Amino acid sequence: MPKYIAKRVFMALLTVLVVACITFFLMHAIPGNPWLSEKTPAPSVIEALNKKYGLDQPLPVQLVKYLGNMLRGDFGASIKMSKNRAVASIIAEKFPVSAKIGAISILWSVIVAVPLGCLSAYKRSTWVDSTLRVVCTIGISMPGFVVATILLLTLAGEGRPFPTMWNVNDVTWRSYVLPCLALGFYPMCYLARQTRTAMLDAINQEYIKTARSKGLKTGKIIFKHALRNALIPVITYLGPQIAFTLCGGFVVEKVFSIPGLGRYFVDSIQARDYPVIMGTTIFLATFIVVMNLIVDLLYKVVDPRINLEKGGN
Amino acid sequence: MADKKMKKAPLGSLQPDPDIFDWNDLPADDVFEKASGQEKESFIQDRKSVSYWADAWRRLRHNVVAMVAAVVLILIMLFAFVGPMLVPYGYAQTIRGAENLHPWHTSLQDQLRVEEEIQRRKDVLQAAEEEALTAAALPSWEEFKDQYVAEQLAAEAAKQGGKLTRQRENILKAQMANEAGKAYAALKEQAAADKDAVTISTDEETVKKELGIGNRPFGYSRAELERKAAGEKVFPHVFGTDYLGRDRMVRVMIGARVSLIVGVCSALLVLIIGAVYGAISGYAGGVVDTVMQRIVELIYSIPEVLVILLISATLKPFLDDYQNAGKLFSGLVTMLGPNLISMFIAFALLYWVTMSRIVRGQILQLKNQEYVTAARALGAGGGRVIKRHLLPNCIGQIVTTTFLQIPSAIFLESFLSFLGVGVSAPLTSLGSMCSEALAGMYTYPYRLLFPAVILSVMILSLNLFGDGLRDALDPRLKK
Repeated sequence: MPKYIAKRVFMALLTVLVVACITFFLMHAIPGNPWLSEKTPAPSVIEALNKKYGLDQPLPVQLVKYLGNMLRGDFGASIKMSKNRAVASIIAEKFPVSAKIGAISILWSVIVAVPLGCLSAYKRSTWVDSTLRVVCTIGISMPGFVVATILLLTLAGEGRPFPTMWNVNDVTWRSYVLPCLALGFYPMCYLARQTRTAMLDAINQEYIKTARSKGLKTGKIIFKHALRNALIPVITYLGPQIAFTLCGGFVVEKVFSIPGLGRYFVDSIQARDYPVIMGTTIFLATFIVVMNLIVDLLYKVVDPRINLEKGGN
Repeated sequence: MADKKMKKAPLGSLQPDPDIFDWNDLPADDVFEKASGQEKESFIQDRKSVSYWADAWRRLRHNVVAMVAAVVLILIMLFAFVGPMLVPYGYAQTIRGAENLHPWHTSLQDQLRVEEEIQRRKDVLQAAEEEALTAAALPSWEEFKDQYVAEQLAAEAAKQGGKLTRQRENILKAQMANEAGKAYAALKEQAAADKDAVTISTDEETVKKELGIGNRPFGYSRAELERKAAGEKVFPHVFGTDYLGRDRMVRVMIGARVSLIVGVCSALLVLIIGAVYGAISGYAGGVVDTVMQRIVELIYSIPEVLVILLISATLKPFLDDYQNAGKLFSGLVTMLGPNLISMFIAFALLYWVTMSRIVRGQILQLKNQEYVTAARALGAGGGRVIKRHLLPNCIGQIVTTTFLQIPSAIFLESFLSFLGVGVSAPLTSLGSMCSEALAGMYTYPYRLLFPAVILSVMILSLNLFGDGLRDALDPRLKK
């Protein structure tokens, strides 16, 4: 177990490093330089600026410097979006909003999806199962922005219970309902499908027959015996789901005009604000990798049979 | 025969089993009866050999959901690929005088009627206004002021009991002027409110409703309606037009086409890279496999969407340069647009991982089977074994995974286009059309509706057909 954890942590660090390097070299491969604007400064000025920001040093040196700064939490400063503001402080301001919405979405999607999946598997080949399957298949076929706009058109606006726009001065629980619904819908459908398949697998196992012949109640069999075994694939999906929810958040934040990190990231890409793009990418990537790591380690807790040393999956 | 019978060898003896010698004694010719021609034929018919694909097709045919999905898919493909040929408008063609058309119209006569009615109502309104002005006989400002001041002064004088001093009068007058202004404004407002109370609506929609004129399907501009009335054949704007006067239906068709092409191309890219990588990794085993799998794990844990956004952001300037440099393939770059190319590159870099894992797993299962050993004993090299023996045997999984890659690629493309880093103008895609429609969502929900519905139905039927395909090609997986 410690060996496995060490290996996974090493892989996670390596991933973050690779993402950081990819980001760094992609940013430096772009033609042009930060000083290009309507009035290009004189060559001597550019030289001085380059010297000041360390841009005259060879690339590897710059990379090491950048990584060092990154470790100290210094991602540089924005050059376009919010001039000269430290990227770290922007992230610190915007990320909690995104994280809150993401966390609520994941929570409700899991809470709803697992019982639905169980129900669907338990009532296999009945109208309940068919309906749930149809709904879930439609759910995974609708892009996030379609779900979000349908919700907006039907539930938001004047005379309807929810606000259409995120009002920074007036954030109530109502503001969260629609974004979280929209963001959690796809994972909910996906998870329900996943749970159903895993449950069907589990229900057909011998130990379920044993449990039934012992005279256990159906509820106990489903939730205590079958579900525990069916949860493994569900947890497998949780890691990528966190990534998806964060990235899916881009769309939801755009539709509902939420001032979160996702929207800021996309805006910074369109504005080509490179320090922001770089800082945000590395931050989000680290976050996702850490979440994946935690989920991976959770396996062991849920199912002690899994032998992690022999290839985690 | 008897002389050939030997003593039965003891257990474990290396001597041949004596019974074996009996085998050489062929039975007499008449023991067996030859099969008649008819019997032979019926024997063959009984066990008609069924190929893998025929078997899969039989299973697929009985899957109603998958077949319905296939029909829907074919319709969407016709819509996307044949449709633009039938509609006489280009996707980037702006039609003057046909901007912002609804997907419905009112006939020319009705339009004239509405206009006449509006004109009539306007005349009536104007007349009423003049009438109201004269009737209310709102006094002019000067008159009103003088009268107001005089009244107030008189009241004040009465209060003071007699006459006011000259100075006092002047001060009061100055104060009064201000109050008079307020009073006059209130009076005017009152008059305006009275006038509004008798207002008849001149709004086009309201007039249409009041005249009982309904909408007819499809959008036509005024000029087109006139040409139609003159006996010319005019193709309607079935979904209306956008703010530049571009036909929405053609744009939806082209968007669907772009989505499908992106989906299929990405799936093919993923198929080629993933299958080759997975096959080599699985077949080679050992250190090669370990190294290759570490790389796969690494790529697996990189958040793809971030990298795709990043790549499309950074590649764009290069591709723009390349496009203008006029080198080889720059025509292709222009045709596809820089964003689409960076999307393909991102797919090629990141999305083959799942496919390679599946292929590797299959190869690992298959590579120790006898026919592989036989092939190698006959001198076949690694490449030939993979190509001729291993890959064809996991074709079911490969086809299914490739097919299910299409909807997820379309999903991603629409996601990127929606965020504005996908397909670039003037080319369009369903995602960018949805994004454009977002602004006027409440006023013109249909602008969002058409691309969103086509997109969702397309992904849905691809998913359903893919599921059916999986069940048909790999019945063991059926749940």
